[in-house]
Amino acid sequence: MFRNYLKTAWRYLLKSKLHSILNIAGLATGMAVALLAGLWVWDELSYNSNFKHQSHLAQVMLNQTYKGETYTGETIAMPLGDALRTQYSGDFKHVSLGSWNNELIVAAGDVKLPSRGMWVQHEFPEMFTLNMVKGRRDVLKDPSFILLSQSLAKALFGKADPINKVVRIDNRLNLSVGGIYEDLPHNSSFYDVKLLLPWGNNENWLGKQTAWSNHCGVLFVQLNEGADIDKTTAKIKNVPTPHIKDFKEEIMLHPFSKLHLYTEFKNGKAVGGRIQLVHMVGVIGFFVLFLACINFMNLSTAKSGKRAKEVGVRKTVGSLRRQLIGQFLGESIFMATLAFLLSIILVQLSLPFFNDLSDKQMAIPWSWPLFWLLAAGLTLITGIVSGSYPAFYLSAFDPIKVLKGVFKAGPMASLPRKVLVVLQFTVSISLIIGTIIVFRQIQYAKSRPAGFARNGLITVPLTDDLKKHFDAIRNDLLQTGAVENMAGSSQPASHFSNNNSIDWKGKDPGLVVYYRNVNVTHDFGKTIGWQIKEGRDFSKSFPSDSGSVILNETGAKMTGLKNPVGELIKFEGKTYQIIGIVKDMLTQSPYEPMEPSIFICGGWMGIITMRIKPTIPVSDALNRIESVFKKYNQGDPLEFKFVDDEYAKKYSNEVRIGNLAAFFAILAIFISCLGLFGLASFIAEQRTKEIGIRKVLGASVFNLWKMQSKEFVGLVMTACLVAVPLAWYFLNDWLQNYQYRTSISWWIFAVTVSGVLGITLLTVSFQAIKASIANPVNSLKTE
Amino acid sequence: MIKITNLEKIYRTEEVETVALNKLSMQVAEGEFVAVMGPSGCGKSTLLNILGLLDDPDGGSFLFNGIEVSRFNERKRADLRKRNIGFVFQSFNLIDELTVFENVELPLIYLGVSTSERKSRVEAVLDKMQIMHRRNHYPQQLSGGQQQRVAVARAVVNKPKLILADEPTGNLDSSNGNEVMQLLTDLNEQGTTIVMVTHSEHDARYSHRIIRMLDGQTVLENLMV
Ligand SMILES: Nc1ncnc2c1ncn2[C@@H]1O[C@H](COP(=O)(O)OP(=O)(O)OP(=O)(O)O)[C@@H](O)[C@H]1O
Ligand SMILES: [Mg+2]
Repeated sequence: MFRNYLKTAWRYLLKSKLHSILNIAGLATGMAVALLAGLWVWDELSYNSNFKHQSHLAQVMLNQTYKGETYTGETIAMPLGDALRTQYSGDFKHVSLGSWNNELIVAAGDVKLPSRGMWVQHEFPEMFTLNMVKGRRDVLKDPSFILLSQSLAKALFGKADPINKVVRIDNRLNLSVGGIYEDLPHNSSFYDVKLLLPWGNNENWLGKQTAWSNHCGVLFVQLNEGADIDKTTAKIKNVPTPHIKDFKEEIMLHPFSKLHLYTEFKNGKAVGGRIQLVHMVGVIGFFVLFLACINFMNLSTAKSGKRAKEVGVRKTVGSLRRQLIGQFLGESIFMATLAFLLSIILVQLSLPFFNDLSDKQMAIPWSWPLFWLLAAGLTLITGIVSGSYPAFYLSAFDPIKVLKGVFKAGPMASLPRKVLVVLQFTVSISLIIGTIIVFRQIQYAKSRPAGFARNGLITVPLTDDLKKHFDAIRNDLLQTGAVENMAGSSQPASHFSNNNSIDWKGKDPGLVVYYRNVNVTHDFGKTIGWQIKEGRDFSKSFPSDSGSVILNETGAKMTGLKNPVGELIKFEGKTYQIIGIVKDMLTQSPYEPMEPSIFICGGWMGIITMRIKPTIPVSDALNRIESVFKKYNQGDPLEFKFVDDEYAKKYSNEVRIGNLAAFFAILAIFISCLGLFGLASFIAEQRTKEIGIRKVLGASVFNLWKMQSKEFVGLVMTACLVAVPLAWYFLNDWLQNYQYRTSISWWIFAVTVSGVLGITLLTVSFQAIKASIANPVNSLKTE
Repeated sequence: MIKITNLEKIYRTEEVETVALNKLSMQVAEGEFVAVMGPSGCGKSTLLNILGLLDDPDGGSFLFNGIEVSRFNERKRADLRKRNIGFVFQSFNLIDELTVFENVELPLIYLGVSTSERKSRVEAVLDKMQIMHRRNHYPQQLSGGQQQRVAVARAVVNKPKLILADEPTGNLDSSNGNEVMQLLTDLNEQGTTIVMVTHSEHDARYSHRIIRMLDGQTVLENLMV
């Protein structure tokens, strides 16, 4: 029996090749999208799952509450580490303080490489179960040892055994290699931590911080077996509270399972973050697959006339309806299986592109039984979903009618098909509108006036070596002819990270405002091209400028002073005079209002900013600049950063959302059109005789084209009517995330609707015109 | 074998109500060869469909081998049908995607006959119908007469007690038609009961008895000698 079914199915497949190809290709595309979305979602959900103790690992987060507003952050004060370790040793198996993942220059012999590393306490490798290729996990107990990742060790030492070899960090600290660990996977929070430095070393500045008010590092804990994260949080919540006067400070444990997906907090509770995107991708992947299933249902029911006779015959010779349902479901599962095989190939081929698009390193887990189990489930469900309607529809045929030849699908028969087409296009159109609006939002934020010229600005770290020769370097750089100006600052113009409070005459004592405070040299403003609105810029001809500051417009307004220039302000216990007001510059979030900033002439600096001459090719300019630095830093590799590139990273999240949305939208519309194409070709085929007769009676090709296209255009229009308000609702909601946001203008809808209508007409017309220009004699002879 | 009494079948469409069978009564004994004749639209096909359990009547009684079957559900009807009844249609109704062999094999598959037995039975039947050499051809590759022979083969392969034929020669020329009639006669001689609808007096002469119908009723029965 089964063989007989398979035979019929296979021969139908071969007989109507176009339909079979459309069906399988559509289904395969849908399944490929679902697989890619599934891989993406899985990759996100399995973030950090490489840590064996993941369920017991947590990062200690800080909740700072001031005037009812709670700010949650990960930067904690150093004494907290010891407090948890000693007072709560019963709750935690391991505790490790850590620094940021710093950019460092690592040298071994002549090889010098920029890399990234963290200062961590010796329990860190144990907590995060690093796979040691060489050496032991606890080697950082000795502050003269360092752990290297396998890739970095290979880059530094090649094939030689690195153990006990010396590496030099930032040209000031020698450490012995104590062990090599396997690089962490891409979907791990510590993916780009390539070396681990010993916390106890004297060069670790963080290790010497003892003030509870100085928040400067991070803290990880591993709970004891069976310990509950929430209960432990409740227990340790108030550890820092007595030490902080100005506001209420509490801590909480943020489990590692949520670290990546939940990054937004409200009132000290994790409320969302990337998880929303994960849900979105999951839902869209499912929808695109569903669109493909709809194609299958539509084509199968449309074709039903052709199989009516088979149903009739099978029924007369004794088949039960149940058996026919089984047969048709079996057929669609068979098709789904073919489609799955094809989709695996599609996924394999498109993964490099998709990885690039989504910044991931995913691969098909070939050797993973669960994957095949899920894939089999996906195939089965796809087959059943897409086969269910045709199976029930076809198997219900009355054998007398179909065999008598009077079988004709009534007007109601095509209604479900119409509903499905409308549903398909509703999803596709919504996705297209969504994509356009996401990119519009990015474009809108990008076009926001910056207040200075970002392009042409490059930065390099200002190391201790370079500081000694700052003026000489500046002279040499200007001499090269490639550099227009050069200055030092504490932070790059792509982002000011410091945030501190200042005082001025007549300030309301209840007012709390944080200013972005930046230390700069005299030429910083001239280098980046800021615009002085009032007063003057810093200048070497005023020796008193070491006690001067410049505020930005927002910062000046914040003080409420009528004539801020000339007034005095107090910052970190020192008094400064305001000498100028500079136009607001966009250095922070492109979606938020301008923030108050204060620029101080002098102080600690870590960044050199240069403006290269636009008349010189960039590579040429970089070569000339590099040769200057080589003279002063013993040939350390230089890490150039372009300020506009760095700033563009602030859009990366939105760009990724946009790319993903575009990817899915294009495939959704592709699948929908594939379905439409199939339907149109089928209907044209069905109507060949009618079209022939009409043509004989004098209908023009245009008449016939119009007759055939009208119905589809109507369906797509209906879909537009549904999709437009739907898309408007969801996107308006999404845009509320941004203070600085684009408006949803009507033309977006107009463009989408006319675009989709255009594609529809193109798809349908191909078949319609083909049928219309055929010689009617041929179509009338067949019968 | 068949005893129907006051059988009624009414087709209702939006505008009109057609009485296709109007209190029709008739009997067919085991081993008989009955021809049903009458003008177009008098209800012959309707009668045959009901006899074949493809359709159910709106009234009256239908005893098949002494069992009242007019109220059977689909499942029971399908079961009874596949064990006892074979069909031959005017328009052959072969499945285009299956070969001759596979078309004939179909009823046996639904009866759950084993592969090897299916093979031997189908081959025997094809042999008898002199169509064995075409076993791997598709219906489109056959002449009308050959197609009808395949259809007859399919109808008899499960050794039904009753064969219902609706204008089996309607689409055939006279020599092919005679061949099919000869096949049916042979089957009847081997004990199969046959009810055949026909417009041809010539074909009707092969039967034992002619039932003439008009407007859904039997009007005359002639016994052939
Ligand atoms: N599905 C149906 N719906 C409505 N009326 C029907 C239907 N099937 C048959 N009829 C009507 O019932 C009557 C009997 O039809 P039937 O097919 O039994 O005639 P017939 O004797 O087989 O005719 P012919 O010799 O032309 O095949 C006719 O008047 C026909 O119009
Ligand atoms: Mg008839």
